[in-house]
Amino acid sequence: MHRSTIKYLSWVVALVAGGVALPGCGGGNGADVSISSTDGASSTGAAAEGDGAAATIEKRGTIGYSAMDMGNPFFQIIADHLKRDAAAAGFDLIVEDAGSDVKAQAEHLDGFIDKQVAAIVLNPCDRLSAGPSIKRANEEGIPVFTCDTQCVAEGIEIAGHVGTDNEGGGRLAGEAMIEALGARGGKVFIVDFPSTNSCVLRVKGFRAVIDAYNQDRTEGKIEIVGQQDGGGEPNLGFSVTSAAIQANPDLAGLFAINDPSGLGAYTALEQAGKADQVTVVAFDGHKEGKQAIKEGKFFADPIQFPDRMGVLTIENILKYLKGEEFERVTLLPTALYRKADAEKDPELE
Amino acid sequence: MKQLLRSRFVSNYGMVFVLILLCAYFSLATIDEQHPVSARAATKIVGFVNSRPTAQNVMVIVPSGVEDRRFADFVARGIESGDSRIVSLVAGRPADARVELQRLGEAGTRVDLIVTQYAAARWDLLLPPGRQELQRSFPTLGALDVITPNSYTWPTFLTPQHLLTVANQTALTAIVAIGMTMVIITAGIDLSVGSLIALSGVVVASMVGQMAGGAEPTLVSLVLCGLLAVAVCALLGAGSGMLATWFEVPAFIVTLGVMQIARGLAHKVAGGSKPVRVDSDLFHELSAGNSLLGIPNPVIIMIVLYIAAHILMSRTNLGRYLYAVGGNPEAARLSGVPVRTVVVFAYAMCGALAGLGGVLDASLFRTARASGALGYELQIIAAVVVGGTSLAGGQGKVLGTLIGALILGVISDGMRLTDVAYDTQLIVFGAVIVVAVLVDKLKSREWPILRG
Repeated sequence: MHRSTIKYLSWVVALVAGGVALPGCGGGNGADVSISSTDGASSTGAAAEGDGAAATIEKRGTIGYSAMDMGNPFFQIIADHLKRDAAAAGFDLIVEDAGSDVKAQAEHLDGFIDKQVAAIVLNPCDRLSAGPSIKRANEEGIPVFTCDTQCVAEGIEIAGHVGTDNEGGGRLAGEAMIEALGARGGKVFIVDFPSTNSCVLRVKGFRAVIDAYNQDRTEGKIEIVGQQDGGGEPNLGFSVTSAAIQANPDLAGLFAINDPSGLGAYTALEQAGKADQVTVVAFDGHKEGKQAIKEGKFFADPIQFPDRMGVLTIENILKYLKGEEFERVTLLPTALYRKADAEKDPELE
Repeated sequence: MKQLLRSRFVSNYGMVFVLILLCAYFSLATIDEQHPVSARAATKIVGFVNSRPTAQNVMVIVPSGVEDRRFADFVARGIESGDSRIVSLVAGRPADARVELQRLGEAGTRVDLIVTQYAAARWDLLLPPGRQELQRSFPTLGALDVITPNSYTWPTFLTPQHLLTVANQTALTAIVAIGMTMVIITAGIDLSVGSLIALSGVVVASMVGQMAGGAEPTLVSLVLCGLLAVAVCALLGAGSGMLATWFEVPAFIVTLGVMQIARGLAHKVAGGSKPVRVDSDLFHELSAGNSLLGIPNPVIIMIVLYIAAHILMSRTNLGRYLYAVGGNPEAARLSGVPVRTVVVFAYAMCGALAGLGGVLDASLFRTARASGALGYELQIIAAVVVGGTSLAGGQGKVLGTLIGALILGVISDGMRLTDVAYDTQLIVFGAVIVVAVLVDKLKSREWPILRG
């Protein structure tokens, strides 16, 4: 080896060794004890009559939040409400953006664990991959709360979950579609997003309602002609809808599992000159989706309540720390948002 | 100043100093209270309890963490060996502790001391108002003094556990960056590595699922599945290399195409964008295990691969050929270097290491995702560039890439530890890459602006 290389290597080795060895020497004076009696007075065990090295607890600690994707306004609303209510209860909130990347989310959780946060909140980027990270938090005794999306990996403990009743929302979307198509029925296309559990449930609810509607009729049936992955985002939603409208020029309805992919789908319908012929039902009720309802692009949206998800999650964390019982899984119902609602909505232009 | 910037010393060791400075900075910035639950902390607690003048009724309350339980058991055993008595031990949620305290209250058991650790001492139940409320409901409970190990001050960044976490988080990028360094030294680029990581992941995950058929797969079948995934990626990499060298198509374009092809194949193998589950504890061990001195396996794999790559690059003909091809392909060809074979080797190696990265990723998360590792190629190229390898080819060191990957890993981890907002993190990250390229330019020739 070159001399320069050896020097190079020795630097790295020295750095790592230093980092590993130092805490060993530094921690020596650490492990005494502190006592806190119920009148709030604190003292340290080693210096019994000392001036009471104040171990009083004013700052209650930190909560870590790993958001699935801050590019989506839905998670911004959750973050804002988590932050507001955490601050009111005396906690700091750290917000990290996973950008839908499982590895980034795992790194967030590693960081939260090493910072010894009081609780972790996350929107799992997919329904399985967060499992090992959550397990690590479990092994460190840090409670994990999921919000919006659920993690279904085995062998993990989730302290609490607040999400949307997505299957119920899907049923609402199906009812809206039946209402819009009326007795004529017609062909319907679904833009789905199978990597997320919540979106799978939306489609399940939608299909259940449509199937039940078709059962006792011979004509005016609603026929689901296709279901494709729109990636939950406008570009892919656009592509799959463009293809679908070419394959089915007589399409009557389209259900998109969220607003961004629904807007992409609408653009495709517009480009094909079929926007008036096809009724679009989307999901979420973001501002952009509500605006689309007001402008008549979407027929209706089952809307979710990210603000309540944030509020309820902090409530659950506080109850957890108090040792009170709470619903381990809360699924908030959706509500159908129509044009009439949009016209009264002060937030829209 | 010009002299200093251009000196060999700075160009060879500059990045190591940057890494050390970063580590020092983040150590200072993360000085915080640490809350031990070590055996030593437990010994101190036991010593304190046993030195009390009268025998005590002691309750131990900790969260359900593994180390917390060990601490609780250690304390309980130590106290039982003295005069005092353990009336109850709870390792669980705050609600479990509340139920247990109420049960003790109803049974009329006296509790003089509660031994706990930092996090549990902050549960409402164990804060002074919470305990006062308990005493009001159950006057027989007694003093309920809470004892915790004292905290000490130490940088959170500079703990063995955390440094290993950072190294572990960097391992995937660093491993794939070895292959990328070789490709960039031949004056090429490989944009397909992110897609190859995803492809390899879904290949290994679905193979393990199919071969084992629901049962726990054997080590042999796991190794075969892993090798198959690596081989698929090596072949695709070799394909990129062949197109780039035989037809002289710019590597940027070829690998852009392969990036899409690999992504498409990944979706095909996975049957859509659903995560593919790998239900094997043995497979999970590959990434999650830390059998050697508590060092995570990916870190060990990373170190071994870097040593091997360093020897390859500095002590073999193949290594010298790689530099020669990148420096001046025509001169290399005239001096008898098999230019095409060397280039194909570099791309195949890069593909294979991306494949290994995918296997490690699938193992760590117990799942593989066809849409995973999106944009990782840019992080990997950034690590190579920050490590001092010139994008013009012919120059660079594979160990520099390791330093580059660690610098990027330390920065992103350090910013998370110091609560830098995620939008600022992106800006800093981008700035680091720009500065690294500027330094790279400075090393090869002067900046026009300095020439004056």
